[in-house]
Amino acid sequence: MVSKKVLLVGNFGVGKTSLIRRFVLNEFSEDYISTIGVRVSKKIVEFENQQVKLIIWDVAGTTGNEKVPKAYFLGASSAMLVFDVSRVETYLHLEDYVQTIKELSKLKEVTIVGNKKDLLTTDELEKVIDKINVKVDLVTSAKEDDNVEEAFVMLAKESIK
Amino acid sequence: MVPTKIEDLFIQLKTDFSGTILEIEAGKFVADQLVPKNSIYELCPFLEASLEDLPLHEVYHLNTMLIVVDTIEYNVDLELIRAIHDVSILIHDRSSVYKHVSQLNQNRNDLILLKRELDLKNTELENLKIIAEKANEEKSRFLAVMSHEIRNPLNSILGYSEMIATEAEELSIIRYANFLTRAGKNLRVIVDDILDLSRIEAGRLELIEESISIKEVIENCVNDFRFQLKGGDLAIQLIEENTLPKFIDGDAVRITQILSNLINNAIKFTQKGIISIGIAVISEDESISTIRFYVNDTGRGMTQDQIKTIFREYEQTQARDQHNKGGAGLGLSIVKRLTEAMKGLVTVESTVNVGTKFSVDIPFRRTHLDSVEYVKSEELVTIDLIGKEILLVDDDRLNLTIMDHVLSKEGCALTLVGDGQDALELLKTKRFDAVILDINMPRMTGEELMRKNDLFTEYNKETPFIALTGNTGKTDQDRYVVLGFFNVLSKPYTFVKLIDTLKKAIYKA
Ligand SMILES: Nc1nc2c(ncn2[C@@H]2O[C@H](COP(=O)(O)OP(=O)(O)OP(=O)(O)O)[C@@H](O)[C@H]2O)c(=O)[nH]1
Ligand SMILES: [Mg+2]
Repeated sequence: MVSKKVLLVGNFGVGKTSLIRRFVLNEFSEDYISTIGVRVSKKIVEFENQQVKLIIWDVAGTTGNEKVPKAYFLGASSAMLVFDVSRVETYLHLEDYVQTIKELSKLKEVTIVGNKKDLLTTDELEKVIDKINVKVDLVTSAKEDDNVEEAFVMLAKESIK
Repeated sequence: MVPTKIEDLFIQLKTDFSGTILEIEAGKFVADQLVPKNSIYELCPFLEASLEDLPLHEVYHLNTMLIVVDTIEYNVDLELIRAIHDVSILIHDRSSVYKHVSQLNQNRNDLILLKRELDLKNTELENLKIIAEKANEEKSRFLAVMSHEIRNPLNSILGYSEMIATEAEELSIIRYANFLTRAGKNLRVIVDDILDLSRIEAGRLELIEESISIKEVIENCVNDFRFQLKGGDLAIQLIEENTLPKFIDGDAVRITQILSNLINNAIKFTQKGIISIGIAVISEDESISTIRFYVNDTGRGMTQDQIKTIFREYEQTQARDQHNKGGAGLGLSIVKRLTEAMKGLVTVESTVNVGTKFSVDIPFRRTHLDSVEYVKSEELVTIDLIGKEILLVDDDRLNLTIMDHVLSKEGCALTLVGDGQDALELLKTKRFDAVILDINMPRMTGEELMRKNDLFTEYNKETPFIALTGNTGKTDQDRYVVLGFFNVLSKPYTFVKLIDTLKKAIYKA
């Protein structure tokens, strides 16, 4: 079975740790304990008769112009850029963020995920997505276990391309 | 306790490219987890899928990684160097440093999120405030319009009921008419209160400043109440200081309103006993006298908690009273607001079962009376209107009928027309002793007529014009004076007021 290193990056507090916890342990907590340092979890993903072992890097969230250390991307096969649909500042400069990640990681594509969809109505969500000028791949809710599995399958598919 | 040795804080080892530990070279940090031939991925899962990609002969730093040993987490920094056949790995324990970093990081993030939440709440509050202000303005406007719409027909009702009461011969009809008048008057007080309060709230209350005899204003007001209470268990006593200034600049209507609201309130709470009303100068400088009006009752008093709420709108302490004498509960808040508008102060002292004392202190500028408009009430009594030619101009038929009725009894010779256009034609050809002119009329308004006054100078150059209007703001009144009106009679008016105003106008002219 292939092992693939994947990263979750994005602004602090957007729910990277929560998405991973939901995916790996099927747990969720309302508490916010900001991640410091890199915590790695593993999970096997199955899709279309394939199995991929994901080595998932949960990277500390960034603020402002902070960059994810380049060294983290060593050997990475794909990356998920997470933003919070309820917080403008986490998607305001999404285009630049995607660009930076591509440069640092040398990855061709980045999976873009808007989390915390449970906090918005369908209408509000639509407006937010309209405002963003990059293609949002999926909107998820770690809290309500909505699209979480799908997001990681997407990430896994991207990693074996 | 054994002190930490340097070897305990690091470990240096070699692995192959698939993560198998080849040898431990130095250091003891988590040494029992890292045994040769085992995989380093057990302890350091983050190295999986990375080792082959390392650049050759370069130091590669991987900082702030987490490793877990028996549920204990360590923060470590790594240095990796790839050689031809193996990888050198140095692992530093940096937990003591990152413990603080972690705390700082958490604090920073929490702070940013809190600030964000605060900002959101503030905008929300700001929006709510704007909405509330809008709603309040809307309410004031609505009330003002409504009250205005109610006032005019109410005025007619009162006029007719007064007329019926004076003319009817059958006793029961007189009694019914009197009930009707009383109920109408109560309603008018409420409507006026609402209108006043909404005016004040909307910042549209304008105080008039004219020379008035404060003594006379107070006496008139108190006498009205004396008359009302005649024969009951309640008496009114007026205590006047003789150091009162003769004339001051003030708004007689509003001062009367303050005092009558206070007296009304006292009456509501006092079944039996004496209400003392006093007026005194409490301080004085070259031009200003601060005058205190007070109303003491021997009623049941109020608790401190009740005192706190009495100046609020629509608050009825007496609601719990079986002895509710009506009103919208606006009287005291009007007192407070009017007093404040006059730069004064209201205070209350009260003891349960002993009584209540309201004091209102207002600074007034002292004046000397030089206005010709001032005619003492006693003098007015001696003047009559017999044979005076009066032109009444109003599109409100009911109002015309009432004025006609009242003034005919005074012996006036009346001419009635329904708009400014008809009035203009008459004024061009006939002299009048006085003209009472409504403002809002079809075809030609009262204001438009006044602007054409050079068309009727031949017969009516000196004739006093009285503006009849519901708009009684000061700006309106000033405008009317500039337009050449002698005086303003605001609706609703009492018969006495109508007659007095007319007498003043004719006497002056
Ligand atoms: N309503 C809602 N809250 C969520 C969701 N996902 C995460 N949260 C909450 O958001 C907060 C932050 O979640 P984390 O998963 O710690 O965020 P993070 O991106 O790992 O943050 P850093 O580690 O600081 O970068 C926590 O209080 C979570 O409970 C979601 O889908 N819906
Ligand atoms: Mg996290």
